Amino acid sequence: MSEEIKADKTMDLKGLPCPQPVIKVSKGIKEIQVGQVLQAVTTDPGALSDFPAWARTSGNEILKTDQGGGLITFWIKRLK
Amino acid sequence: MDKAKREKLLDLFQSKLDRPMRTYLDVCTRCGLCKDACFAYASVPKPEYTPVWRAEVVRRIYKRYFKLSGRLFPFWGESKEIDEEALKQLNQAAYTCTGCRRCMMYCPFGIDTQAIQAIAKLLLIGNESEPEILSMLADASIEKGKSLDLYKESFIQGIKNLEKEVVARWKGESEQVIPLDVEGAHLLYVALAGAHSIIPAASIMNAARENWSLSFFEAVNFGAFVGDPRKTQLIAKRIIDEAIRLKVKEVVICECGTAFRVMKHLVGKQPFEVSHIAEVMARYLREKRIRVEKDRIKGLITYHDPCNIGRYGGVIQEPRNIIRALSSDFVEMEPSGAWNYCCGGGGGLAATGDYGQLRITMGKVKADQIRRTGAKVVVTNCYNCTTQIRELNDKYKLGIKVKSIVELVADCLEN
Repeated sequence: MSEEIKADKTMDLKGLPCPQPVIKVSKGIKEIQVGQVLQAVTTDPGALSDFPAWARTSGNEILKTDQGGGLITFWIKRLK
Repeated sequence: MDKAKREKLLDLFQSKLDRPMRTYLDVCTRCGLCKDACFAYASVPKPEYTPVWRAEVVRRIYKRYFKLSGRLFPFWGESKEIDEEALKQLNQAAYTCTGCRRCMMYCPFGIDTQAIQAIAKLLLIGNESEPEILSMLADASIEKGKSLDLYKESFIQGIKNLEKEVVARWKGESEQVIPLDVEGAHLLYVALAGAHSIIPAASIMNAARENWSLSFFEAVNFGAFVGDPRKTQLIAKRIIDEAIRLKVKEVVICECGTAFRVMKHLVGKQPFEVSHIAEVMARYLREKRIRVEKDRIKGLITYHDPCNIGRYGGVIQEPRNIIRALSSDFVEMEPSGAWNYCCGGGGGLAATGDYGQLRITMGKVKADQIRRTGAKVVVTNCYNCTTQIRELNDKYKLGIKVKSIVELVADCLEN
């Protein structure tokens, strides 16, 4: 499944407690171009609601979320 | 700065000028007692880190626009125009102050520097020059409240995935290991949105056979960190609405000082009690609803009182009762309780990573205080403090373990 979306940048956020994952992603997304995709891997279940809420307010798009093996992976497209 | 912007900022300033605030701004005699109370100045002895200076940058604008002398003779005395330089000073003053309120304890007039900093923050928000990251996090929290249904199912699945770890800590029978959305639950537990905050507390509440429900919302209130009263209330309202919908009797806030301060003191009277998790754990121990193995944790233990929970919230004795139930080897920091020094991680400084180096430098007084105890384990009760003291441990080579009080109890549960 994960091969379907090509990530331009990957961030390993495993083990970081809330709110660090969403803070780091909000900084990381500025390091890619508009239209590119950021892959973020976290272990924090709070990210499951934090990331979509952040994406809606910051104008980015979560293309896909995957849970498995204790990891939560997001593919986020920078829209602006 | 154009006239319209200036008028907008002055309107915001005016909105904060109630009688207590005017007193705080009028009565300071610059005696300097606050300077010796401040952890930041004790660590970095520069005038800009004194509470009196932090207040003064606001007070000079007040004198210029809200006192007759400043309006008639703006060139006279120490009044100051609101301009880009003033906004820069306000930013430095407001967002390097953790709002610990230790200065207020020493001030002969009880001047609340934190409340004065709320004016500075409001002006910076009006100027759109507040820390972007804090506003972004506050907006995301509010959005979560509006659109919960969009994230609910995946969050429930994420919480389900934590259950094995809860059972590993406490193996008792429980219908729902981490219950969510339980109407009629006695207690709504509001955690930080992470495993570190949910798993230990769930183990303890299950061990106590509590009728509880986990909130869908995180406790932390970034609206309060950034200093935006409207966002603070909107973020708190998500939890209040959930508590009312579930008809719970008690809302219990996790190890987050700001969240506890907001819910306990800033949201008015509600149809439920507000407690801190340390108060609940102390109650479980007192009523023998949980059993713990004493001295399972080895080494001398000390306790750091988080400012919003101890000095501001009054939860001082309960954590000590808990630690004494767990260990024969407890030592107080000096000073402690309501007089404890701030660790330097409050006000969002530790949560966001801003002012990283300054934050560690300002924590020197706390590092010295910990070292003097000789403790090997530092227990605390707020995740900003935990994060900060862990970083102080690395930087100042304290050789300690830093534990949250909830982790500590969960680690000592007897099945």
